[in-house]
Amino acid sequence: MVKVEEKADELTLPSFLIERPWVTIVWDDPVNLMSYVTYVFITVFNYSKEKANELMLKVHNEGRAVVSSGSREEMERDVQRLHEFGLWATLSHDGEK
Amino acid sequence: MVSSSAFNRHGDGSFIAIFADTEREVLTNLAEQLIEILSERIDAVHTDPLAAMVNMTGHDSPPEDVVLARLLPNAYADPVDSAEFRRFTEAELRSKKRAHALLLRSNLLNLENSTVRLHKESALAWLGAINDIRLALGVRLNVQEQSHEQLELLSPDDPMRGVYAVYTWLGWLQESLVQALMDDVDDPEDVAEGTQEDEGAKVEDDGWEIETL
Repeated sequence: MVKVEEKADELTLPSFLIERPWVTIVWDDPVNLMSYVTYVFITVFNYSKEKANELMLKVHNEGRAVVSSGSREEMERDVQRLHEFGLWATLSHDGEK
Repeated sequence: MVSSSAFNRHGDGSFIAIFADTEREVLTNLAEQLIEILSERIDAVHTDPLAAMVNMTGHDSPPEDVVLARLLPNAYADPVDSAEFRRFTEAELRSKKRAHALLLRSNLLNLENSTVRLHKESALAWLGAINDIRLALGVRLNVQEQSHEQLELLSPDDPMRGVYAVYTWLGWLQESLVQALMDDVDDPEDVAEGTQEDEGAKVEDDGWEIETL
């Protein structure tokens, strides 16, 4: 009989138990005004001025930022709205591309 | 002679700017060009009534034109997911952008005393249209992260110098409208209250719709 503890040590927990969210990523763009990007985040996501500004600076300084997360359908809606405002946005499941 | 002014927020909540004739003509012309390039991308004729009903565009690859490709970008890094998304959403995105440009053009053609007066929803449409025009000019000028110094040094007989001057002016105009709109956003509590009151509220105007903040 196998001790439960031993078996548990060998197991690598499969990720199907953990629902990873989809994310919306905004990419840096040389044309969009910084104030405009902040205002779009406030308008689209209802974020506070402070949070919207922080996210805008992350896009500006790091080249990209995750701006929202949730179900695939929700992220598709977010990306569509950001495209309406001319921001360069994509959605992704792994957060890397 | 009228001189232009940036956007200002007035006490009644409207946003006002004054346009000199030359600037009004330049912006009207650019709006018309934007409408034209968006209209050039024609959807396949729907033989499937269900596809027409869900507003499927028929397009599953990004536009070849670099300006259109910037205005209608891919939503996924993966080309298959991107194509699928585009089929269902691109027509709507195009029609919204077109509606924003049409509204801007219509407002500019109906100025009173060289003055444009916008309510909040129109201001958002203007913001989108001006941004799309700047994105398009940015592609044509090949604007990069560090290219402003070079663009400042274009020789007087370079036709791109005039284009860059318009691009810079539109940046200034857009910034003034953003700042005027920001005055409405005071603190998080106000934003949250506004949301509750206006939840689900939509303004429809000649086919374009935009959710109020």
